[in-house]
Amino acid sequence: MSIYDQYETVIGLEIHVQLATKSKAFCSDDTTFGASPNTHVSAISLGHPGTLPRLNKKQIEYAVKLGLALGSEISLKSYFDRKNYFYTDLPKGYQITQDRLPICIGGELEVRLKDGNKKIRIHHIHMEEDAGKSIHDQDPKNTLVDLNRAGVPLLEIVSEPDLRSAEEVDAFMTGMRQLVRYLEVSDGNMQEGSMRCDVNVSVRKKGDTTLGQRCEIKNLNSMRYARKAIEFETSRQIDLIESGGKVAQETLNFNPSTGKTAPIRDKENAHDYRYFPEPDLPPVIISKAFISELEKAQPPHPLALFNQFQKKYKLSEYDANLLTEEKLTALFFIDLAQHSKNYKAISNLIINKINPYLSESNTGLNDFPISKKHLSEFIQLIDENKVSNSMAYQRLFPEMLKNGEKAPLDLAEKLNLIQSSDSDFLEQIVDEVLAKNPDKVATYKKGKKGLIGFFMGEVMRASKGKADPKKTNGLLAKKLNV
Amino acid sequence: MQIDEKLISRLENLARLKLSSEERHKISGDLNEILKMVGKLEELDTEDVEPLVYINEEVNSLRIDEVKHQLSNEKALKNAPDKDDQHFKVPKVINL
Repeated sequence: MSIYDQYETVIGLEIHVQLATKSKAFCSDDTTFGASPNTHVSAISLGHPGTLPRLNKKQIEYAVKLGLALGSEISLKSYFDRKNYFYTDLPKGYQITQDRLPICIGGELEVRLKDGNKKIRIHHIHMEEDAGKSIHDQDPKNTLVDLNRAGVPLLEIVSEPDLRSAEEVDAFMTGMRQLVRYLEVSDGNMQEGSMRCDVNVSVRKKGDTTLGQRCEIKNLNSMRYARKAIEFETSRQIDLIESGGKVAQETLNFNPSTGKTAPIRDKENAHDYRYFPEPDLPPVIISKAFISELEKAQPPHPLALFNQFQKKYKLSEYDANLLTEEKLTALFFIDLAQHSKNYKAISNLIINKINPYLSESNTGLNDFPISKKHLSEFIQLIDENKVSNSMAYQRLFPEMLKNGEKAPLDLAEKLNLIQSSDSDFLEQIVDEVLAKNPDKVATYKKGKKGLIGFFMGEVMRASKGKADPKKTNGLLAKKLNV
Repeated sequence: MQIDEKLISRLENLARLKLSSEERHKISGDLNEILKMVGKLEELDTEDVEPLVYINEEVNSLRIDEVKHQLSNEKALKNAPDKDDQHFKVPKVINL
């Protein structure tokens, strides 16, 4: 057993989620990402003296929605506090956050792992604001400051130290991203910084119940980096302990180009935030009526849908995963499943045809050219054997994409795809095929049963794909096995 | 609380200020005065009194989520001591 196997890694996360509001947390500046520098600003976000913050109602709504989805207790009364520190991208000299009493307490997120599900407990969720952006590498003598992001509303989700590996962190972040997207409280876009996390890592001997000294790795904005940072930090701490050293509590940065963590220089690390109540913002009081209204409007939970897709619709784990990744896709499936019981066909249609079309055309389901009604009719044509499966996908579907307004049945007729199950017609073709291939028939009769596929293919070709495969198969078997 | 050299240095660091020895001496006196004044309040028995944070009873002063009242880039940068055509400029914070 390797020395590393004697240890376990203990990880807790602080996830920052940027909320999908139109305006900022405490003033009406635009929150759209990617604007030219210092154009989404106002006297409030610039921290000018004499200005007063005023809370965006949506921030409360989004916080409560997320809390409800995680089973948190919603604080009927909560407060804001000031976290004081000096930094160039924090114009007021303090961040407005919730220290004394956050809006959501407790809760859990169930995540899917290779060897079963695991519930990760949430410590709390609090509301706060983002800082601006410091640009250190564009000017040789100065740091440039862009305050567009200053004041953008955030939720910070603090987990309990329940995670044990980079894989679990990955699953937790993936689950949380999916959840905030289902709830439509954030776009969860890690590249644009809408979701990033601080990772608290410690190690201990397996079986130990006390926690080891932890280090905090700041501001990881990609799952790949988070994974690498945790793996590096775990070995670093174990090596240190094994060589007789002690882990010091430190704040670390992860350097993607070296793959290593390193302490953040002391200058930024003066941890004395001198929290005190924010007197400019009155307490937030939430009514039970407000909570129950939001509760009623909650979308289905992604994990519940994932389970439902396997149990109710009998789909594979793989299909269920793909179909429930995005809420829109999952609801689209459920809509179609109300008109046809051929769930596997609907699943194939979405996964193999619709999704690739959407990613190629870079559009969303809302802009898909074929209506749900026509898609249902399309599935029905296959179900009722009016059009063969292969013809439906190869010929009819592309035609439907071009003529979204036309009914699939009309298009199928126009393309001459309506499958014939007329026995005389079929029998005639089968007889012709068998007559043309006497040697193959002989080989089949000697026991090479695999040739049935060859005959099927020939019948299909002769009928231009219109032969009903089931009936053809039956007829062939009957005639060959005399 | 004792205002000593160590505390002044810590405050200096937290406030990102560099004080001359004259200023340190002066601020140390000022801070002692302030503490003395606040210390006076401690003579009162506040055992059963809830801390007062909000001076009125207002709760939930909320805003509708809409975009307005933004400043132009030019106006935003107008009072900045140092700037380029888009950004605020400050002394270099990190040497990359």
